Amino acid sequence: MNTTTLVRNPVITAWSAVSPFGIGRDAFADGLHAGRATKLALDKELWTGPDAEACLVPGFTAAGVLGKKGTRSMDRATGLAVATVGKMLDDQPRGREIATGDHAALVLGTTTGSAQSMMDFTRDSLTGEKPFFVDPSRFPNTVMNCAAGQCAIWHQLRGPNATVAGGRVAGLHALNYARRLLTSGRADTALCGAVEEYSAARSWLDRVGSGDDARVLGEGCAMVQLECGAEDPGRRALAEVRAVEFGVFTDDCGPALTACVRRALDRAGASAADVWAVSPSGTAGPGEEAALREVLGDLDAYRSPDLSLIGDTAGAASAMQITAVLAMAERDRGAAGRVALITAVDEGVVGCAVLGLA
Amino acid sequence: MSNEVQERKARIKDMVVSALEVEPEEVTETAMFVDDLGMDSLGAIDLLAALETGFGVEIDQAELPRLVNIDAVYEVVAEVAGWPLTASA
Repeated sequence: MNTTTLVRNPVITAWSAVSPFGIGRDAFADGLHAGRATKLALDKELWTGPDAEACLVPGFTAAGVLGKKGTRSMDRATGLAVATVGKMLDDQPRGREIATGDHAALVLGTTTGSAQSMMDFTRDSLTGEKPFFVDPSRFPNTVMNCAAGQCAIWHQLRGPNATVAGGRVAGLHALNYARRLLTSGRADTALCGAVEEYSAARSWLDRVGSGDDARVLGEGCAMVQLECGAEDPGRRALAEVRAVEFGVFTDDCGPALTACVRRALDRAGASAADVWAVSPSGTAGPGEEAALREVLGDLDAYRSPDLSLIGDTAGAASAMQITAVLAMAERDRGAAGRVALITAVDEGVVGCAVLGLA
Repeated sequence: MSNEVQERKARIKDMVVSALEVEPEEVTETAMFVDDLGMDSLGAIDLLAALETGFGVEIDQAELPRLVNIDAVYEVVAEVAGWPLTASA
């Protein structure tokens, strides 16, 4: 028996985002469609890093959005992720029934977790009167999987819980991990996406690491809900995950990305003619566009969301790209039956997802 | 009760409010942390750490079971910090 004919591709049945456009999917879709810039001058009392400007989730604090209880020691990255999952579940009439409980997985992409939490905790230990005079309730924030774990605790997601670190490619890694959990029967639903917080610690790391003073940092969390075949005919699949492929490179991302995109299209059974939208990472320099042109021809022929509006969301970037093409597709009749291509590039790694739009 | 004792109890109360994530009006001097304020083991550790950093003392973890309400906490910290015990303690 050929099992591949039995396994249907997972479908995306919901999405949400907490982004510089605001909280929830409507704010994200509206901001994206309006092409609204989100860059703001930072309040230097609150944000002590080197940046003068950033794209922040407006007015976001974990306690402000989630309530006072349980948020005293919650860090920003965790708050963003917990809020995004909550929004996605509450946006659907039966969200909590479908996507929580014993068979609900969560897969979250990240760069390093919260750099701010790690640095703060270490600093407290070094500057306090005793090395152990630290706030123990903040210790969980220093591990990378804190946000994923808290999402599961808050929203009763008792299935597999995974954190995937992968920089700008993390959102695609998470999508692939979630896809595998479903196709191997480990979970009935998988919430997957990626999160990145803005912080003084991250801005220092970015400034020193990239040497790029012009880059404006952004933040947020974007998630999709993945299921294998919707049993309920009343619920519509938004997109089918047709392929997720990766590649590695040493110096030039171009050849690896070209090969990766070709492989993804091939696996998806799609050609350049089927492509409706292309969302490149946009932060990998001219090599990324050149590689895409080699496979797809003139990139102006395709729709492409402008994610520079929300700044460099780093670890959350490719998850934001996924929700951005979904947001575009749901307001454009021309998208149905076509595919969207999402590419991501970070140090040494390329990724490409092909979504079949419903 | 001297002003100093009241001041210290007020500081302890702030720490309890923060560690247990409860409202200040719920925390009376005799309100029981576990039964009345829902303290769990993590909350107890949070409170212990707050007391240590706040008052610059070290409290043996064996004392955790004694941290049942504000009066009891005052007594435990008083022992290691060398504060006078109150009449009510």
